[in-house]
Amino acid sequence: MWTKIKWGIRILLLVIVGLFLHYTLPQRDVVQIINTYNKNTPIGANWMFYSIEDTGTGVETTAAVRDIRYIDAVFPDGQSVMVYRNEDTGWFWPPYFKWDSSTLQAEATNLKSDKANPQWVAVTHYGWRMPIFSIFPNAVKITPVEGPEVTLIPWVNIIILGFLAFVILMIRRMWAQFRERMVDPALADVGETFDAAGARVENARKEARGFFGRIGAWLGTWRAKK
Amino acid sequence: MGWLRLAFVMYVALTIIYFVTGIYSRSVRREKLEKEWDTDPAREGLTAQERSAFIEAGMVHYDKGLKKRLLWLIYILPTVGFLVTIYFINWH
Repeated sequence: MWTKIKWGIRILLLVIVGLFLHYTLPQRDVVQIINTYNKNTPIGANWMFYSIEDTGTGVETTAAVRDIRYIDAVFPDGQSVMVYRNEDTGWFWPPYFKWDSSTLQAEATNLKSDKANPQWVAVTHYGWRMPIFSIFPNAVKITPVEGPEVTLIPWVNIIILGFLAFVILMIRRMWAQFRERMVDPALADVGETFDAAGARVENARKEARGFFGRIGAWLGTWRAKK
Repeated sequence: MGWLRLAFVMYVALTIIYFVTGIYSRSVRREKLEKEWDTDPAREGLTAQERSAFIEAGMVHYDKGLKKRLLWLIYILPTVGFLVTIYFINWH
């Protein structure tokens, strides 16, 4: 029972961390841009999936509506599509420090193409497209690529995940060192104290045998402790 | 103003990491020196004072060494990482 709960919590934590990383780390789609536009976007309970206020993406027309840039794109299969939002991230999470959404929108418009002679681009983005919550991945960078079959190696993710693994390893080693050098000696001390206390109790018990012994032991409790 | 808040929080966090890592690094070095002394047959029978003198000398050597200076990377690497990110996202 207890092991099941423990494993349940562990798996849940792992899933949360995995989803968090999947949302935050950059991913690249090879797509063809078909449209770029602005749209007044109402932001309500899904605010968490948009940039924080005052990052300077377009004007916030009222408290809850923001003028946001969007980029429409189609995947190489010609059918599945993706809508990216194009917002500054500002100085907050996720730490992309993107301030060039105007420039990025111009680049996107410049790379727009029709189906007859498609221009393929790699759109670096983070985030998810989830229609129920009206959330869109945020495009961070757009670079032209040779064609739809280009292979892109996610170096940034390899470096970040490798670094995270290193940090976890170091935390484990630090904790092990802390236990070995600080906690275990302290526990050993406590253990010795307990042993000593046990020996004292044993002596007291031996002395307390018999009537006079008991009186002697009682008198003994009034003596100064050695 | 956003960047000031971020920089402040980041350097406070990095300072904590710097000190914790520093303590860890010293502890590892001290343990290594202790083991070096304890496993050396030539040093058997020497006094505890000589042992602690050996360890203290080793720690003084560590404090002047390269490994301790490498700990400054805890500040340097994130700063460089942020600057590189800003450059590649906005200008490259």
